[in-house]
Order: sequence, then C-alpha cells, then structure tokens
Amino acid sequence: MAGPRRLNEPRPVAVRAATDGTPRAVGPVAVEAVREEWLVEDRWWTPRPLRRHYFELALADGRALTVFRDAEAGHWFRQRA
Amino acid sequence: MAAALEGIGAAVESERPGEIFFSVGGLRGLYGGDVAGVVAVAEGVVGAACTPVGEAPEGRRVPAPLGVAPTRTAARAAAERGLPPVTPARLAGFLGSLPTAVLLDRLGEPRRASEELVTALGRLGIDTLGALRGLSLDQVADRFGARGLAALRIARGEEEPLRPRVPREDLIEEIELPEGIAGSRLDRALELLVDQLLAAPARKGRTLLGVRLGARLCGGGSWSVDQGLGRPSAAPGVLRRLLVPRLEDLPGPAEALRLRVLAFGPPAADQLVMEVGGAEPRRRRLGAAVREVRAAQGPDALLRVLPVDAASRIPERRDLLTPFPEL
Repeated sequence: MAGPRRLNEPRPVAVRAATDGTPRAVGPVAVEAVREEWLVEDRWWTPRPLRRHYFELALADGRALTVFRDAEAGHWFRQRA
Repeated sequence: MAAALEGIGAAVESERPGEIFFSVGGLRGLYGGDVAGVVAVAEGVVGAACTPVGEAPEGRRVPAPLGVAPTRTAARAAAERGLPPVTPARLAGFLGSLPTAVLLDRLGEPRRASEELVTALGRLGIDTLGALRGLSLDQVADRFGARGLAALRIARGEEEPLRPRVPREDLIEEIELPEGIAGSRLDRALELLVDQLLAAPARKGRTLLGVRLGARLCGGGSWSVDQGLGRPSAAPGVLRRLLVPRLEDLPGPAEALRLRVLAFGPPAADQLVMEVGGAEPRRRRLGAAVREVRAAQGPDALLRVLPVDAASRIPERRDLLTPFPEL
C-alpha cells in the first residue's frame, strides 16, 4: 500500500432516470421509492467544482441504495452516504 | 488576571465577568500553610495583573478586592465589604445578614427572573438571606419554584463545588511559504511544520489530542480546519497522515501555514510508564502478531480506518484507510 487511501469512494453505476432526473431503475432493478434527495456543492471556487445530486433509494428487490449524479460529468455513481 | 492566579497554582472558576473564584484549600500547603499566606500571594499577583504599564510598583493598588469564605456568595460579599476571612463557623451568621439582592448575581440567567424573585421576596418582608432561610423547602418550592429553591440553597450555604476552567495554553507554529508553492512541495512544507511543532520546547513532551491547521492566503483572508487525532499522539507520521489530505481543502494559494495545538494529552513518557505493568506485554504480542501477518500476507495485510473529517458532506472525505502502525 503506497499510502493512505480514501474509503467509500464513489463507484460507477448504471441508472435509468426520468426526464426530471429522478432515478427509475438501477441496473435491471426498478426503483420502488425515493426516500430522500439532497444536493452537495463544494469547491465551486476551484477549477474542479463538485456538484452532486444524491438520491436515497428503495429498490424493488428490497435493497436500500444511495446513488448520485455528478452534475459536472453527467455520470451516475453509488456510494454509502 | 485568571491566568495570573493560575500561575500560582489556583484552579480558577471564571464564569461571569468581574469575578473569579478559586479554592484556597490546595494552595495552603504551597504558601505557608494558612489562608493568610495564600491571600497575600493572590493579592500580589492580582495587583500586578491590574497595574497599568509604567506605573510605579509602590503606587499600585489592588482594584480587585479578595474575599475568603466557604461559598461564592459569602466570598464575594466579604470582598466587597473588605471583611476578613469568613470561617465555616461564621458562615451561617454572615450569610444571614446579607440582603437578598446578593442573589441577583448568583442565580444565573435570565437575570430578570432573579429580579422578580427578589422583588417578590421583598413584598413578603423577606429582605435578607437569614429571613429566606427561615422558610421551609416546601414553602419555597410551592411559591417560587426551582429558582426559589436555588436561592434557598445559597442562603443555607449549600453551593455547588467550583467548576475550574481549563487553563488555556497556546502552542502555535507557523511557516512562511515561497510564492506559488503547491502539490508535493506544499505537503513537504506541512511536514516541516509538523516537525517544528513537535520540536517546540513548550510542548514539554506532551502528546497532542487535536490541532488546527490554518493558512494565510495570498489574496488576503485566512483558512483553518480542526483535526482531532483520535488518540493522544506525538508521532510525526500520524499528524502528517491526517493533515496532508486536509490541504486539498485549501481555497487558494497560501503564503503561510500555521499549526496550533487545540488540546494536549498526557506526556509520552507517562504513557510508557503506564504500559510497563499490564499493557506492555500485550503491546509486544500485538506487535509480533502484526509482523507475522504482514510476513505471511504482504505489507497491505493490516490496515485501519482513520477518521479524518467525520462531519464532511462528501462521504469519501470522512475516512482514510491507512497501514496499521508498527508496534
């Protein structure tokens, strides 16, 4: 191990979203409910700003999952919030 | 002034402006064995603390009077009246003679409620703590509630023990940065600063519990972040591992970095002494186990989770995975 590394890094995930941006399915599994959603904005003063739209989801298979959409890159990630 | 009293070993309670309380009990052994010796020393340091710069010593006075008594209320009243020490035997009589107005400063906020209590007592003809003491607990509780009961305890000489403040001690180290420094050079500057802080004589061999990393920014303004260490440590590696990632949060180029100790832990030597009995053999066994596992599974076999910014809104910034320390 070269040195310390961060825990709980975001991992890419395939999310199908509605036109308003709300997740409808994560991979092949449908989203049962959006329990909570929130925005995180940070480092907006730097060349690499961070803008994330988090969703805490209940999936149709019973799992709870937190995903976010990176507003800068437009990609979806899952992460333990 | 509180710092001056702490300088003579007093554990000082300073919760309201204009008054300071400390127990003379523990100081008597240091200053002649009696209260008068402690008072003389305290008057000396208080007088010196109150002397304006440039004033001749013989011309100085003690604008902050001292009073000695078993409770805060009695001590303050004795100080204001310039009375000799109130002994425990005289406490009841002395308190009984005091007007109920002395309660105004002793019952806490809101002061208005205390004023209403004193006014209500006055309407009933209760103008002294002695008269208040004549009431029963039930009577006071029924008529005046919790604030009345607190007043009754004061009138009876039953006050809470002193709550001494923790003496503040500043240990700050700063390092000027060359213009345009960033990346690994900035990390290196922080490492030097950590070494500088740990080498400071004022640390007196103590471990650290928390530090504040700050920066003066080139464009003006400043930035700082507090970092707890999780457990007492004076190891440069621990501080570096925790602080270097925090540099990522710097909002702009810095012209100076500063490290301030927020809290000290026990001296490192004391920790070693404590380990000699039961903990040292355990530490040795644990160290051997760590080496054995690493020998078998590789250097990355044993890691630990290190909280670095538990309150961060960005989940991946909260914890670091670091090598389990060699023991």
